[in-house]
Amino acid sequence: MSSAADSSLQGMPASDVEVVSPGKSAVSVVEPEPGLPTDVDLMAGIQATDPEALSQLYDRYSGIMKALILRIIHNDTEADDLLQEVFMEIWNQAKNFSARKGKPLGWIVILTRRRAIDALRKKQAYARAEERLQAEPEQQPLAWVQNTTAEDITSGDRRALMAKVIQSLPEAQQRVIDLAFFQGMSQREIAAHTNIPLGTVKTRLELGLKKIYDSLKELKDEL
Amino acid sequence: MSFEEFQNSARLYVIGALEPEELQDFEAARIRYGAAAEEFINQCYTLHEAFALSLKPAKASAAIKDRLMAMVRERSERERGSAPRK
Repeated sequence: MSSAADSSLQGMPASDVEVVSPGKSAVSVVEPEPGLPTDVDLMAGIQATDPEALSQLYDRYSGIMKALILRIIHNDTEADDLLQEVFMEIWNQAKNFSARKGKPLGWIVILTRRRAIDALRKKQAYARAEERLQAEPEQQPLAWVQNTTAEDITSGDRRALMAKVIQSLPEAQQRVIDLAFFQGMSQREIAAHTNIPLGTVKTRLELGLKKIYDSLKELKDEL
Repeated sequence: MSFEEFQNSARLYVIGALEPEELQDFEAARIRYGAAAEEFINQCYTLHEAFALSLKPAKASAAIKDRLMAMVRERSERERGSAPRK
């Protein structure tokens, strides 16, 4: 990883997560089931050192978090270990979370991604992941949104909706976003990795992210 | 940098994809556009949720939660035990 890649954490908070947690006004993509404590309730419980609140948060989001970790480090055992570490970090850093400044899930995802990318770098798994990517260059974007069926989408499942948004992008845009978000690559690294000119990488990233962002705003009404 | 260009950069920024030489211009525009810039950056963090939610949830090892909760309860009890009594 280059220094540019290290700066890929530039927007990601460490222990001072409250500084840049997702905004309250951001487009909401997750709502709790009726009758269950909200994510904010659970975070308040964790801040009050209630283990049961962490247990419920685990039940609610461990699947998503593990999927994100797996998508980055591609190793099931390491993913489980990292998942445990991230939940311990949530427990330890909960005092830094502010509901006024952002949504719990956004905060959790930022923490999880940062830890996973850190782990990827520390364990030098980057090289192995790169080999895998080179071995299956065309399958990667599809693997990102695999198992999305029309039935999933019509059922209104949020995961399927998110996947649908991403799947709607041209494959070339999916690919660069995939490398940037899930592999933590800088624009230059993506250009080197894919043999695509740097300017093209930037354009694809900008167009792809704008489409996803705009689609999320539209989905807000559907959700 | 126009506000539209700033918005494009902000979406790259939140996923950590801005190059170092772009960061300086971005930060300058961030200051120039003030509260509107901060609000937009905050909204961009929703992208993180979207990417995570696009993945099919994976099942964690059953032992992980047990281990985690044992650690948390032990720490919680230890902290309660070391807290000054009133």
